[in-house]
Amino acid sequence: MGRIELDAITKSYASGVDAVRDVSLDIRDGEFMILLGPSGCGKSTTLRMIAGLESITSGEIRIDGHRVNEVDPADRNIAIVFQNYALYPHMTVRANLGFGLKLRHVPADEIERRIGAIAATLGIAALLDRKPAQLSGGQRQRVALGRALVREPRAFLLDEPLSNLDAKLRAAMRTELVKLHRKLGTTIVHVTHDQVEAMTMGERICIMKDGRIVQVGRPLEVYRNPADTFVASFLASPPMNLIAGRLDNLKWRPRGVGRRRDASGDAGAAAFAALAGREVTLGFRPEDFHRAPTGDTSTAISAHVVAVETLGPEVILVAELGGRGGPEFMARMPGDFEARPDQVLDLHFDARDLHVFDAASGRALPRPARV
Amino acid sequence: MSLQTIDSRDRAFGWLLSLPALLALFVVILFPVLWAGWTSLHDYTLIAPNFDTFTGSANYQKAVASGEFRHTLWLTAFFVLAVVALEFLLGFLVALMLNEVERFKPIYYGILLCPLLMNPVIVGLIWRMFLHPQLGIVNYLLVSVGLPAVNWLGDTKVALWTIVLVDIWHQVSFMIVLLLAGLSALPREPYEAARVDGASALQCFWHITLPLMRPVIIVTLLIRLIFAVKTYDLIYIMTRGGPGIATDLVSYFIYRTAFVSLDIGLASAMSIVLLAVILGLTAYLYRYMRSLA
Repeated sequence: MGRIELDAITKSYASGVDAVRDVSLDIRDGEFMILLGPSGCGKSTTLRMIAGLESITSGEIRIDGHRVNEVDPADRNIAIVFQNYALYPHMTVRANLGFGLKLRHVPADEIERRIGAIAATLGIAALLDRKPAQLSGGQRQRVALGRALVREPRAFLLDEPLSNLDAKLRAAMRTELVKLHRKLGTTIVHVTHDQVEAMTMGERICIMKDGRIVQVGRPLEVYRNPADTFVASFLASPPMNLIAGRLDNLKWRPRGVGRRRDASGDAGAAAFAALAGREVTLGFRPEDFHRAPTGDTSTAISAHVVAVETLGPEVILVAELGGRGGPEFMARMPGDFEARPDQVLDLHFDARDLHVFDAASGRALPRPARV
Repeated sequence: MSLQTIDSRDRAFGWLLSLPALLALFVVILFPVLWAGWTSLHDYTLIAPNFDTFTGSANYQKAVASGEFRHTLWLTAFFVLAVVALEFLLGFLVALMLNEVERFKPIYYGILLCPLLMNPVIVGLIWRMFLHPQLGIVNYLLVSVGLPAVNWLGDTKVALWTIVLVDIWHQVSFMIVLLLAGLSALPREPYEAARVDGASALQCFWHITLPLMRPVIIVTLLIRLIFAVKTYDLIYIMTRGGPGIATDLVSYFIYRTAFVSLDIGLASAMSIVLLAVILGLTAYLYRYMRSLA
């Protein structure tokens, strides 16, 4: 069992800074939960409060229904994997894995059996007699993971465990962690600032900013319906284009562009009618552009190409909206799309793919339901 | 120009740059040492200055056979062990405590460094006054709370321990500062990992702090050891080796042999023996530090 409930927890430091503010989150037993956010958003502090390494200023943390605010880290039966692995540098891999069990007075043959099993699972059996300094980054990472696994805890807390690995290894470990989670079925709370990790690994993502939760949801849900401009610009790469403007009658006038553009075809126009006259931030994802009209809600915009990034499977266009001098945006086109800098071309998008955010608060405004 | 010639030119330039320093080192350090080695092989007393009398190892045999010299060596060994062990225990304890302190750390540092900044001669003079049997403040305080006065420097059973205590007062901050530097450089993460693993404070100390501090501890102990072997000024100022020969540490004994008994040849032989011991310690220290890199 490993249900973790955060009930309005706050962490304030003596300097008056609130690292975490009023965070409530219910992590279900066996769930793979991602805490995502930029550095300094309070995600690591939240994780450390769950582990018991940081005290909680107010609020309550419950594990399997029991309040653990005052419970010692050792007695929470939770394992944590640190960003820089925090292996005991003077101990061999075997001793690193067995240390926690030894302190808990697990019999020696049982320790040996568990170490053997974990080492086999993680492929580190050949490294058991080495010291951390003799291991590569990836191997240390596995040992750190093994040290958590061998304890057979109620939940694993992972504090940016992949951030010190190179890109290739990171991709491999992502898959392995997901596989491991499926095999063990133990709750995992994984802190990261990498939106790719969040999208690919998590069953749910909790996005934090300035110590608060901005949005919690399944990866695609968060991707499709970002709660505000922060989430919109944080998830996916390249991120959603955000352009300030005003919905003016049925025309949309992007700021800094003289000419009014048609915001949408008839159906799209109806959807936005309620927002007429309001200052908004419009969001559209680079991948929502098409080279040809897609239907009766399709809309064309004129784009002045600034740069063309040919990636092989796709082409990233950097262009100015509405012609030279307009706000810059990015479009993600198929690999065979041809464009040159300084070319002016029409790009199409479906008005129903538009996101509309309140200009002042950045919160998402209701969108028309997709047909 | 071939690589070889560039290399040799660089090497020549390197020698050229180091030459002045090497010369200075030779004149002020190596030459006196070699001269002492030369002297130790001759019969050279200041009473009858005729040091062309080569006597081979006679001075060494005399030194080793001398019960007094052996006594001072044992006394020095005891003094060094007592001083280093006590200073280490006390210093480590204080360093561990200071490592937890967050406020006023610079003030504690400043207070601790005061004795270390003082000249050993001054330390000796101050403590000789403090410990004076009749006029000293220490005995005054002891008597005023009803305890018997102690003859700190005049009692053969007490005098060496008095020197040990004064040396601790003077040098313990050295240990504290070095160990504290080591402690504050330790990584924080293994401790957090250990807390989650369920280690108590004592287990953390035993399984993490001590093993991680091992290099710092060894280097600190060795440096302190080498310096303690050479202790001379405290003895000269406070007891002159007395009462009797109760505090006759080897450095002071060599000084006496050379400049009181005026037997320079014998004193040189003793110095060379002492030098060999210290060199042995230094070589070990050097090799250990190299092995860390």
